[in-house]
Amino acid sequence: MASALSGGLITSGRKIDCKDLHSYLRTLSTSVLDKLYNHPATCLAVFRELPELAKHYVLRLLFIEQPISQSVVSLWVDNKCHSEHQEVVHVLTDIRVWQEQPLPGGMQGWILSPTFRQNLKIALLGGGQPWTGRGQLPPDKHAKDVAFLDKYAMDRWECILHFMVGSTEGTVGVSRDIIEVLLNAGLMKESGSDPLPTISPTGFQFLLMDTALQVWFFMLQYLEMTESKGLNLVDCLSFLFQLSFSTLGKDYSADGMNETQLKFLQHLREFGLVYQRKRKVMRYYPTRLAINLASGISSINSTPHAHGCIIVETNYRVYAYTESPLLIALLALFCEMLCRFPNMAVANLTRESVRNALARGITAEQIINFLRTHAHPETFKVGQVIPPTISDQIKLWELERDRFKFTEGVLYSQFLSQSDFELLRDYAQDLGVLVWDNPSKRVMVVSRTGHDDVKKFWKRQKAGNS
Amino acid sequence: MSDRKKASLLVVVIDTNPVWWGQRLEDGPGKSLTQFLDSVMVFTNSHLMMSHRNKLAVIAAHTNQSCFLYPRTESQEAAAGGGEPGCSAGMNDGKYELFAQVNEQVMEEVKKLVLTSLEGQTETDSLLAGALAMSLCYIHRCEKESFAGEDLSSRILIIKGSEDNPSQYMNFMNAVFTSQKQNITIDACILDNESGLLQQACDITGGIYMKIPQPSGLLQYLLWVFLPDPTMRPKLTLPPKAQVDYRAACFCHRNLIDIGYVCSVCLSIFCSFSPICSTCQTTFKFLGPPKIAKKKQKKPNS
Repeated sequence: MASALSGGLITSGRKIDCKDLHSYLRTLSTSVLDKLYNHPATCLAVFRELPELAKHYVLRLLFIEQPISQSVVSLWVDNKCHSEHQEVVHVLTDIRVWQEQPLPGGMQGWILSPTFRQNLKIALLGGGQPWTGRGQLPPDKHAKDVAFLDKYAMDRWECILHFMVGSTEGTVGVSRDIIEVLLNAGLMKESGSDPLPTISPTGFQFLLMDTALQVWFFMLQYLEMTESKGLNLVDCLSFLFQLSFSTLGKDYSADGMNETQLKFLQHLREFGLVYQRKRKVMRYYPTRLAINLASGISSINSTPHAHGCIIVETNYRVYAYTESPLLIALLALFCEMLCRFPNMAVANLTRESVRNALARGITAEQIINFLRTHAHPETFKVGQVIPPTISDQIKLWELERDRFKFTEGVLYSQFLSQSDFELLRDYAQDLGVLVWDNPSKRVMVVSRTGHDDVKKFWKRQKAGNS
Repeated sequence: MSDRKKASLLVVVIDTNPVWWGQRLEDGPGKSLTQFLDSVMVFTNSHLMMSHRNKLAVIAAHTNQSCFLYPRTESQEAAAGGGEPGCSAGMNDGKYELFAQVNEQVMEEVKKLVLTSLEGQTETDSLLAGALAMSLCYIHRCEKESFAGEDLSSRILIIKGSEDNPSQYMNFMNAVFTSQKQNITIDACILDNESGLLQQACDITGGIYMKIPQPSGLLQYLLWVFLPDPTMRPKLTLPPKAQVDYRAACFCHRNLIDIGYVCSVCLSIFCSFSPICSTCQTTFKFLGPPKIAKKKQKKPNS
């Protein structure tokens, strides 16, 4: 009599999942982690991403060669912050920065992992092997300045973004490797008829992210594929971190790099993270994209653009002082474009346009964040970057779509008598698994977890009756 | 949102008084300026290591001048010839480029400072007030230049060995009250002579004053006590506050005094009574000292 109805869960687009460095490191195996700490640059990067308190712990322990009792370490913090202390201990143990070691007295102590300690010391104090590419280089005949590198990097990167939105400008410079990464990340998907892949809902979310965050997300996806391409993950990661700690506008030598790293360098060159005049020239310049990688790692609010161009007014009007077709295309994702001038575009934020964007899986948070990171420098002087009414309204438009709450459940119907119905309903109610009931029609819905119990009870009941 | 990243600017004022450091050299090995500088540089690099947004300035308080050791001013930069050839020396080991650059600049500037100040008179005290004022100016500039929407919190750390000079009292206190107004914490790390001035400065601005019990362990003290910035400090167990010597220097002879005379108009402090205030020229009509004597006579009666 009970016909099962499985509650269809409607997925409104997957939220893009951008890991920060720590959650990424946690996915790696311990042996890889230990190898990773063999390079000062990685230790430095890992250190910078630790919670504030953890950084102090590491520095305090850096010059102490013997294990320190755990109770002593817990006395370093005020009593009020005990939970924070626990969290920090957990983080440090998780990524193997420190290890437990018994003290002579039988108590447990903490000691920094020897490789981590040694390489952090090298980064801080010197000694050890020089980083690759730090050798003396004769002055470059074709030396490039910072402005050139910035332009080069942005051109390369926008090429990829252009390709994603399918505009014709970008398709020339995008190689098979990049397409593979994009496909693998789920940012684009192959469609049957079209030779070129098309953008996916996650892709739209990706486009709205900050550039530094985009690069980081993209590199994470790339690193996931390194193994399948026959590249060594540890080599790639340590080179990437080293790159993020280099000086902008300075040239480095590619001498002494191994096979993997040279191949990796060529890929980075394609993404615009490094500039190399010719493939054969053993000299490269890291660009701002690579150096900002270190800041993109911490996923929370990275610094706004210095050259933002968007002004949002309280009347829902958006002005973008830009010529970039990409930015205007991005704006058009959630705005209704009104007019276009040689150096600016005007758009309106409407309920319809925002809802369209939400339907594509873009969240309100992403829209607001996009407007904020690209805000015009003038708006910072006023105080409120985006008028609160606008940000609130966008959030309300998002909430509006969430009026339904989906609960998976099983429908019980076609009861033969009212008493049967009431018996079963009361039982389900007592268990706390009743989702909904309608006595006049004798139907009720029980949650998925409670279904088994209720069914058994009904079977027993029926057996007892007959 | 609560985890919003803040930039932190640390200005380190180091005392490079030649007289005091010369005396240390006689005490025995292991206490020279070079070792001191090594510790300080590891500390400053640790500050830079905490976050890529962190900024640093190092100022030397010398006996007759104060000057920037890091970053270089434009004129210093020109004198160093762009600084390019010097950078190579630090590149032959595994140190982070920026750290090597900081170390090199500080070393070079200290060398220059020592060599240029060979002539002329040397005093036993350092121009602390001047260095403090310079750091306040630098902080003000950085705050103005920092990008809108970015939070820059600044603090000053003074590492001092030589004696206090009461003649700097006025200027020093003015600088301290300015930093209190600007929300800049002043910390003091004392190597040798207890300093009443710095005790007051730290107490007023909410910083930490500490005399290092063991100069050889300087680095560890710096890392433990002075590396956490003021927002972190409440969470950590740090040494308790020291007793503060709140004596002021009189305006007439620059002596530190416990009890003195205060002008009722401009609040200037004097160690001896004078009928006309030397600061604001107020004339006091009645005689001071006899009145006190009268009161004393009255007390037993009542």
